[in-house]
Amino acid sequence: MNIHEYQAKKILSQYGIKIPKGGVAYTPTEAKKIAARSSLRGPWVVKAQIQSGARKDGYFIEKAAGSRGGIRIVKSRKDVFTQTEKMLGATLVTVQTGPKGKPVSRVYIENFEKVIGTFYAGIAVDRVQATLTLLISRLKDKEITQIAVSNPEQILRIPLELKKEVRPEQVQKILDYLKLSPKSAKALEIFVNGLHKAFIEKDATMIEVNPAGVKKSGEIVALDAKISFDDNALYRHKDISRLKDDYENSERELQAAKYRFTYSEFDGSVGCIVNGDGIALAAMDLLRSKGVGTACFLNVKGGVDKDNIASGIKIIMTNPRVEGILINILGGFLRCNLIADGILSAASEVGLNVPLVVRFEGTNKEEAKEILERSKLPIIIAETMEEAVDKLIEAMEESD
Amino acid sequence: MSILVNKETKVICQGITGTQATFHIRRSLDYGTNVVAGVTPGKGGETHLGLPVFDSVAEAKAATGGTASIMYVPAPYVKDAVKEAVEAELDLAVCIAEGVPVKDMLEIKAMLKGSKTRLIGPNTPGIITPAQARLGTFPENIMQSGNIGIISRSSTLTYEAILEVNQAGLGESTVVGLGDDLLIGMDFVDVLELFHKDKATKAIVMIGQSGSTFEETAAHYYKNLSRKKPLYAFVAGNAIPFGHKMGYAGEIISNGYVSVQDKKDALEDAGVIVFDKINDIHTELQKL
Repeated sequence: MNIHEYQAKKILSQYGIKIPKGGVAYTPTEAKKIAARSSLRGPWVVKAQIQSGARKDGYFIEKAAGSRGGIRIVKSRKDVFTQTEKMLGATLVTVQTGPKGKPVSRVYIENFEKVIGTFYAGIAVDRVQATLTLLISRLKDKEITQIAVSNPEQILRIPLELKKEVRPEQVQKILDYLKLSPKSAKALEIFVNGLHKAFIEKDATMIEVNPAGVKKSGEIVALDAKISFDDNALYRHKDISRLKDDYENSERELQAAKYRFTYSEFDGSVGCIVNGDGIALAAMDLLRSKGVGTACFLNVKGGVDKDNIASGIKIIMTNPRVEGILINILGGFLRCNLIADGILSAASEVGLNVPLVVRFEGTNKEEAKEILERSKLPIIIAETMEEAVDKLIEAMEESD
Repeated sequence: MSILVNKETKVICQGITGTQATFHIRRSLDYGTNVVAGVTPGKGGETHLGLPVFDSVAEAKAATGGTASIMYVPAPYVKDAVKEAVEAELDLAVCIAEGVPVKDMLEIKAMLKGSKTRLIGPNTPGIITPAQARLGTFPENIMQSGNIGIISRSSTLTYEAILEVNQAGLGESTVVGLGDDLLIGMDFVDVLELFHKDKATKAIVMIGQSGSTFEETAAHYYKNLSRKKPLYAFVAGNAIPFGHKMGYAGEIISNGYVSVQDKKDALEDAGVIVFDKINDIHTELQKL
């Protein structure tokens, strides 16, 4: 689960990390009021709150939002109002959002901080080493977006221990690498330990401060912040679960999430229902190799509830992009007959008006096939994944 | 022969009284798996599926000599369940649960370091040696005994790989589902090493997918092996576009944007036979 910058900053500030003074606004009037607070002297930064990085270099789809990106430095309170008005409701596209972009439902108004230098700091899980790693990078002439792609090996990597603070010699190493003055030593120690502690206590999977600013006084301040949380650990963080912003997700994604299924949308025409990410990827690869794109896939995982499965199948059947449905289930934990029951129940509710090809393998396969055959619905049954894909493409061409 | 489990392996089931455990242990027993005991805290002394139930793994091991555990415990309890298995010094623990928190896995990985216990999973169909032992949720009806080892990150594609082996007129020595959570127990290298030592395994099929660098690590390991068994690989995820994520930290960790093509290239460079379509594997296996 991802959260917005202003929410991430608030969490980091609870761990001793300094953040610029600011407030979140849902209307231009609110934005102007925040800018008028005595603690915010200006200039100000008006920041579009969407859950993506690289907002500064992004662009808005709507012309009325202006040609500047999603982070705008403004010099007057009046302009805080104007820029907020332009961005609210507009759609911001960044390298991380994809071409559809994300709608801006609120902005963050922040005091502009004068800094003498900036750096990148992030913590993520190293999957191969099975450790947490703190990543620190200078940002002298390049953005982290460029460094991450072209020279990731130049980035300083500090392995962190789960139950211990960052060691003094590690802090010193970062200080040296960033060529910071000794008066930043204490601030840096508080900063990196704050990130580390927040990561562990809040069950994060990624924390990023891009950039952190170094002030003349030696103080370190988080100019931006991103946190992703572990969905599987949300059960022990009710406070974090509440921050979920449904505005960022489509209606169908939300429905799928309700049943703990994963659902992703793409630009093609085939809706896939699968029971694992691997089989979803392989099916998409195979469809693409035959010139057909995927509209969406729903992964029902090890689902064992017939009604939930039916609801999941309905999500696919009601996606207007979908011109054909491929159901590819390899039952182990999941029993194929539950899927067959789910298909019938979903079809009886919303109707089946596009070709549907089913391929079952594994647990209770024969029983599942019998259920579908007895139904007399125009469902095509295939024995292998490739046969299923071929039969679906053929049926889609016929129904054109 | 086989790796990790065979018909002699004495298996303990953690969480045996649950619904899923009951369904799958009954099937594993019917398949001939040597399940000797179950563990459910608070239900020690009872009998379930004809097996003695103990309060702890240590008690179950002491009473029955069990050396491997199959756990059907829900995600929030996985950390404690693995801890018990490690402390009881079992050889193998197989974890089926999906949704284990990353932080718990970080602690589990730290526990496993230097311990006697190997972990398979979580979020995996487990491990199966045809006609000998089934620890997990594998559809046993599709298995055939043979001399092809299979390792896969994806559960569902494991079954696909098994069907390919069968279609080639061959069978499996042992099949291991690694799981595809952010952090997992055994990885490709661990299992490749065992398959290379196993006399009954003549060739290996590995199924990778996008994300992380597990395939690259495997390619590096295989390239440096002096005696190689034929290795066939499929990597899923070519059609998935980049993006749909937040931040860069993940990419930096894995040294840049690793694409499925990069993984395939690394494997090919190491001498692995790489397929673009998983359903092409059987034609190549037939040449064995």
